Amino acid sequence: MRDAYILGIETSCDETAAAVVRSGEQVVSNVVASQIATHWPYGGVVPELASREHLRAIVPVVRRALEEAGQTYQSVDALAVTQGPGLAGALLVGVSYAKALAFALDKPLIAVNHLEGHIHAVLLEEKQKGNHEVRFPVLALVVSGGHTHLYLADEQERGWTYENVGQTRDDAAGEAFDKVAKLLALGYPGGPVIDKLARHGNREAVNFPPAHIKGRPRPGRGRRRVGADTPGMTFDFSYSGIKTAVLRYIETHNMHPAIEQRRRALAEMQSPKADGVLKLCDRQTLDLVASFQRAMVGDLVGKTLNAAGELDVATLFITGGVAANSELRAAFEREAAMAGLPAYFPSRPLSTDNAAMIAAAAYPKFLARDFAGLELSAEASLPLK
Amino acid sequence: MKEFLTHSAEETTELGRRLAPHLSPPKLVVLRGELGAGKTTLIKGIAEGFQAASQENVTSPTFTLIHEYRGPGVIVYHVDLYRVDTQRELDTLGLDDLFDENSVVLIEWGEKFLRFLRERDVEITLERLGENDRKIIFTTEARRHGEK
Repeated sequence: MRDAYILGIETSCDETAAAVVRSGEQVVSNVVASQIATHWPYGGVVPELASREHLRAIVPVVRRALEEAGQTYQSVDALAVTQGPGLAGALLVGVSYAKALAFALDKPLIAVNHLEGHIHAVLLEEKQKGNHEVRFPVLALVVSGGHTHLYLADEQERGWTYENVGQTRDDAAGEAFDKVAKLLALGYPGGPVIDKLARHGNREAVNFPPAHIKGRPRPGRGRRRVGADTPGMTFDFSYSGIKTAVLRYIETHNMHPAIEQRRRALAEMQSPKADGVLKLCDRQTLDLVASFQRAMVGDLVGKTLNAAGELDVATLFITGGVAANSELRAAFEREAAMAGLPAYFPSRPLSTDNAAMIAAAAYPKFLARDFAGLELSAEASLPLK
Repeated sequence: MKEFLTHSAEETTELGRRLAPHLSPPKLVVLRGELGAGKTTLIKGIAEGFQAASQENVTSPTFTLIHEYRGPGVIVYHVDLYRVDTQRELDTLGLDDLFDENSVVLIEWGEKFLRFLRERDVEITLERLGENDRKIIFTTEARRHGEK
């Protein structure tokens, strides 16, 4: 069969993104609006928060993705768009634009779930590296600022199936990183800076108890594989408690004066780098950051490996913005190897929100001719099934 | 003004369930309280009280900004402005599209913007008294005549 070029469009949250992917296995172009803000003549900087900014960015971003791929509107084989989950107003821009484009060009339109996209980002890169040997079922941890989900993913003859076997009960893991960074005045986003600072602190300095999941177990999930004797078994997460524990630690250890000093110093610096932040951190702060990250990583790795064992999966995927965390990667690689499980991560550009993953996830649907009609609508809380 | 004391996250959620009947749409509710005060925990109960979502499925919208839960005759919007700092960023969110006859808009960190303090129907303040104890104050804003 000849190659299929799919144009992917993603506008679920902050990033306006478009990409062209060949046959679900090679990224031909991958454009994210915030990266090109300074080069692109639509005026000003694209703000972090851009749901309505998508309107301004989408046309130039798509055009650029096509140009970089050496493709045209007419030459691509299909269009793919994120239907949800995400911010309703933001999703609507991508969905409306993709529908109009598909209609005008008379091309098939494929609806993709954002979380499914994150899972396929991993598969896309493995294929790109020549690894066609990924074994199923896969347990995928999708971990980012907005999501902390565990999915059991399987490739069936009629396409992919997904089963949600765990999720956060309160805060997403990436949100905990952001909030702790904000509490300590380390800058935004919190993930990358905490990752760098944690290397300089004592991971054993502060003991954060493991997250205790309160409330009743969610019914029905994961039942199929874990057997009838453990009905309703779930592998849920909770990161609201650790955020509060960090706040308490700051209060009881009188860290506020140092934090205020750092906040003022950072406000005067032009786009501070992690090294600059490091110079403004005392031993106590670095120890707290290192201990926090260790607790987060320990919990994510522990719960995921536990789920992998219970569900008897063949492979682990770790994907989403937090998957770029170096300690998380190292811990997963180590623990998965001990459990005899291959663990795969996307590279940094494909970890965070992008459209290449949307175009890649669309490819199996393209083969199955699973196309969306023009009645397609954005769904802010679209579940992945 | 009503004051409540809760002694666990479960009790806070239960209180949310009991408050739901007092929040019949349309309502704009501002929730105040520091990080970890239990704003999202209370909203879990409110959403459940409206039969719009089960508590396990109500999670923090800090990153995703707006979560939407649909119940019979009501849409519960859970908005979090924690990472929204400027008026321009607020404008890009299009919150005006949410206000509707059937909507209950619950805003965390809404007090950052004067507008929500002016327009709120209800304010709920959560205060941390101890590890698990919370004081929760429910205030209905009486609209004075002749005032917009």
